[in-house]
Parts: sequence; structure tokens; C-alpha cells
Amino acid sequence: MADITLSPIPARQRRFQSLFTAVIGHRFLGHRKVQLALIILVPILLLTILAPVLPIQKPLETNLRAMMQFPSIEHVFGTDKMGRDIFSRTLAGVEVSLMVGLSVAAIALLFGMVLGTLAGFYGGWVDRIIMTVVDIFLAFPSLLLAIGLVSVMGTGIVPVILAISLADVPRFIRLQRSQVLSLRSRAFIDAARTIDASQYWLMSRHIVPNTLAPMLVAASITAANAILVEASLSFLGLGIMPPQPSLGNIVRDGQTYLEQAWWISTLPGAVILLIAIGLHFLSDGVRELLDPRSR
Amino acid sequence: MAEYAAKKLVQMLVTVLGVVTLVFFTLRLIPGDAASAMAGDTLSGEALEVLREQMGLDEPLIAQYFGFLRDLATINLGETITTRIPILELLVRALPITLTIALSTIALSVILSIPLGTLAAYMAHKGRTWLDNWLTGSAMVIDLMPPFWTALVLLLVFSLGLGWFPASGQLDWGNPRGVALRLALPVIVLSLAQVATLARITRTAVLEVLNEDYVRTARSLGWSELRVLFRHALKNAALPIATVVGLSFGNLLGGTVIVEFIFTIPGVGNLLVAGINSRDYQLVQTLIVLYALLFVVINFTTDLIYKTLDPRVQF
Repeated sequence: MADITLSPIPARQRRFQSLFTAVIGHRFLGHRKVQLALIILVPILLLTILAPVLPIQKPLETNLRAMMQFPSIEHVFGTDKMGRDIFSRTLAGVEVSLMVGLSVAAIALLFGMVLGTLAGFYGGWVDRIIMTVVDIFLAFPSLLLAIGLVSVMGTGIVPVILAISLADVPRFIRLQRSQVLSLRSRAFIDAARTIDASQYWLMSRHIVPNTLAPMLVAASITAANAILVEASLSFLGLGIMPPQPSLGNIVRDGQTYLEQAWWISTLPGAVILLIAIGLHFLSDGVRELLDPRSR
Repeated sequence: MAEYAAKKLVQMLVTVLGVVTLVFFTLRLIPGDAASAMAGDTLSGEALEVLREQMGLDEPLIAQYFGFLRDLATINLGETITTRIPILELLVRALPITLTIALSTIALSVILSIPLGTLAAYMAHKGRTWLDNWLTGSAMVIDLMPPFWTALVLLLVFSLGLGWFPASGQLDWGNPRGVALRLALPVIVLSLAQVATLARITRTAVLEVLNEDYVRTARSLGWSELRVLFRHALKNAALPIATVVGLSFGNLLGGTVIVEFIFTIPGVGNLLVAGINSRDYQLVQTLIVLYALLFVVINFTTDLIYKTLDPRVQF
């Protein structure tokens, strides 16, 4: 055969494939732990997004003719003492959880990156000041630090996000600093210095990109952890306050009725566990994909 | 060793001073001030002034700061604002309860996880991995369970359902059996997460040691498997285990707040939650400093244990 083509795939399709690999990555979707994570997280995410259009009672709507009902087709997770639908409240709570998880991870990542890079790159008194503050923050157990901070900042979603972030940022600063310290003395940095690269250039082009992988893994672990801390705070009555549902305060509400209506507390709590397991697989998968040694 | 301990001690004192300073100034960041936040709308202008004076808020900031340091150093903790009970008195009652929970949890989880982790490592070493797989999988799930949820589920099953443990009631130190039954579930809840982590660490540490040359030498000398495991493997694996026990103490303290709240146990955690709810900043600042102090002291002790267990560690 004379007309063998070297690329049997048409150019447009090829372009699409490389786009697909770049954006989603078949390696990412082909990884077993990532698949497990998606099997758990995607349905939860879809239900949460679709909650407003699903044929279920609104989260705040009460129905005094259907109080403390056992789970049924109409009320998948049952109802509470005011006849509110636990399933729809749980979905509203998941929305809050995800918001808290993502915000905390983003804030911790951003501040950890900037302050950790500065401390590691410049050393000297910059390093000393930043690390002294970090060490003081790390002297508090993290849940207790968050509890202390909300006691000052008050309740509600923004103070909770800020409190949990403040408790987590020091860990990110420390991680980033140690990475920068080990990169700073590497040959390629010296090489860039010899061609007169500016400090900004060194940090933004050579150092930060090389620190991204562990930081992203830490961020996904932090997201899961932040969801647990928010739920714990709300459970203690120090986080997000009723009537706004959060997974923690729904569980708290049901605690009083544990004997008569076990579903109010246990089912939303199980959803927290599911989300945590999903995020755990996700971060594990991402870590294995990004770290060539553990593949 | 003494020199090392002294150096660490100085470091610890600096951290403690930093902690106290941070707590002091964070509380001064409250919009308005602590007195008006505490009083809400309940007090008139004049009564508010009296409260400010009582809390020492009318003095200059620096004087307040040094006053706070002096009070803490001389354990003059003052009274709760709302109920006028000396804070020291509250702590003398609450601290032993919280410490009992925390230390029992550490004891229980060490007793359970070391044999479990060693067994898993040993079987994995021999090529039988089912226990290993099972342990890794369940450890992951247990580790991720929200403690307040675990506590409620256990409460539901073992207290309300089976009636094995009382769900409420007085804690009377004169009745050890009653105390043990009352604290059993909280300790089990907290131990679950600890065992999950510790068993995994033990497994990894022991497995690593089992592949060392000196273990093979010990075997070639004809020693029994148990003797090899205990005299060589476990002894050398003790280091990472001790470190993790120390490090997890912080999480454990956070956990005690939650279990005390759920099982209505009058420990430090319940005091803290009550203090925040009644906006008693005098109490809250003392408790937060206390928790940090406990954590820092435990970390210091872990460091020293680390140093004692492994003479190779040089700093």
C-alpha cells in the first residue's frame, strides 16, 4: 500500500484529544482512586446543584402534619420535629460544607504560598518574623484554635471560613517554606541567577511552579478537614447558626431526638463521612499522579 | 541531654509567651470591647463602666497586658464574669475529668493498636496481607468519621439501645465503677480514631524493621519469632509510635471538647463551650491558654522521649 498516512487521526480530532488530555487528562480519569472519588462525589455534587429543582420540600419549609417521620420515598431522610425535610436540609448543608471546604483550601493555599515563599526565599529577619508567628499558631490544637477564633469573630459562614483558614495557613506556610529552602540551592536556580534573572522571575517561574504539587495535595486534604471542622463547630453551636442548615447543626438538632428519630442526626452525619471519604480518595489519587515516585 | 532539655525548655517558654500574647491581643480585637460584647444590650452605660473597671479594661493596654501575664504566672485566674465563681475552682473540678479521658484514650489506643499493627506487619511480612488490607481500609474510614457522629451512633446503640452505659448522670469520684461506665463511651469514641492512626504507623514501622539485617541475624541465631518481634522489631519501631502519640495529642484535646459536649461530661471542654456561649472572655482566654499549654508541654515531653529512645538523634 502506497498511501499509508503517518497520522491516521484527522488534525481536528487530534487537537481535541490534546485539549482533552490537557484539561481533564485521561490519566487522571483512568486512575482507580480518582474514579472511586468521582463515583462518590459527583452524585453528591449533582444532587446539591439540582436541589432547587428537585421535587422535594424546601430546606426551611415546615410541615406540621409530617413531623419526625421515618424515611420514606417522599422524605428520603425522614423529617424533623418541625416537619422539615432532612434530605433537602442535608443538600443545603452540603452546599455550605463545600463552600467552606473550597474557600478554606483556596485561602490557605494563597497565603501559604506567598508567605512561605517569602520566608524561604529571603531568609533572615523576614523568615524569623513569619516563622515565629507560625510557631505560635501551631502551639494550638487546630480545632481549639478555630473554636477560640470564632469566639472572637462570631458565628456565621464568613467568620467560620476565616477562623478555619487562620488555623490552617501556618501549616501551609511551613510546607511551602521547607520546599523553597530545598529548591533555593539547586543548580537550576543558580543557573537562572547567572543570567541575571530578577528575584520575582526566580520565584514565579522557577520556584513556585516546582512547589505546586505537594501544595495542591495539602489543599485537598485541608478541604476535607475544613468540612469536618465546620461541622464540628456548628455541632457545638459555635459555627453556622440555625435556621440556615449546615451538616453540623442538623446533627445537633437531631441529638435531642436521638431516641425517637435517629435518622435526623445519623443520616446527615453519614453524608459528611461520604464526602470525607471521597475527598480522601481524590487527594490520594492526585498525590499518586503528581508524585512520579509513588506511581 | 540536660543541655538539650534546657534548650528545648527555653524554646517552649518563648512559645508559651507568644501564645499568651496572641490570646491577649486577639481578644482586644473584638469590636467595641470584651465588656460591651459580653453585656450585649443588657447593661446601661454606667453598669458597663463598672464591668469595664472590673475587667481592668479602663487601664492602658500595656498595663493590662502585664497584669494578664502576672495573673497567669501567679495562677491568679480571677472569677467568671457571669456566675462569679473562681476560675481556679472550676478548673480543679474539670481538669482531672478531661485529663482522665485523654490519658485513658492514649492508654487504650496504645494497648489496642500496637499488637494490631505488629500483627498486620508480621503477616504482611510473611506474605499474608488480608489483615493488612482490612486494617488499612477500615483505618481510613474510621479516621475520616466525624467524631461527633461516631459518638452519637455509639450513644444510640450502646446507651439508648442496649443500655450498657449510662448516657447521663453525676460523675462521682467515690464511685470508680460509675465513673468508668460513664467515661467508657467517650474514651472509646476518641480511641477509635487514635487506634486507626496508630495501628497504621505501627504497621509501617515494624514492617520496615522486619526487613533489616539485624532481624535476619537474630532469626539465624535460632531465636523464636516472638522474641525477634519484641526484642528487635518492636523496640526499634517504638520511636515513630511515640512521636505520633505525642503529635496526635492536639487532635485528642479537640476531640475531648466534642465528646464532653455530647455526653454532658463536666470537663474543660464543656466549660469552654459554656464560656463562649455566655461570652465570658475571662474564662475563655484562660481555657485557651490552658489547652495550648497542655499541648506545648506534651510536645516538649515527646521531644525528650524521642531523644531518650533514640540516642542517635542529634540536634
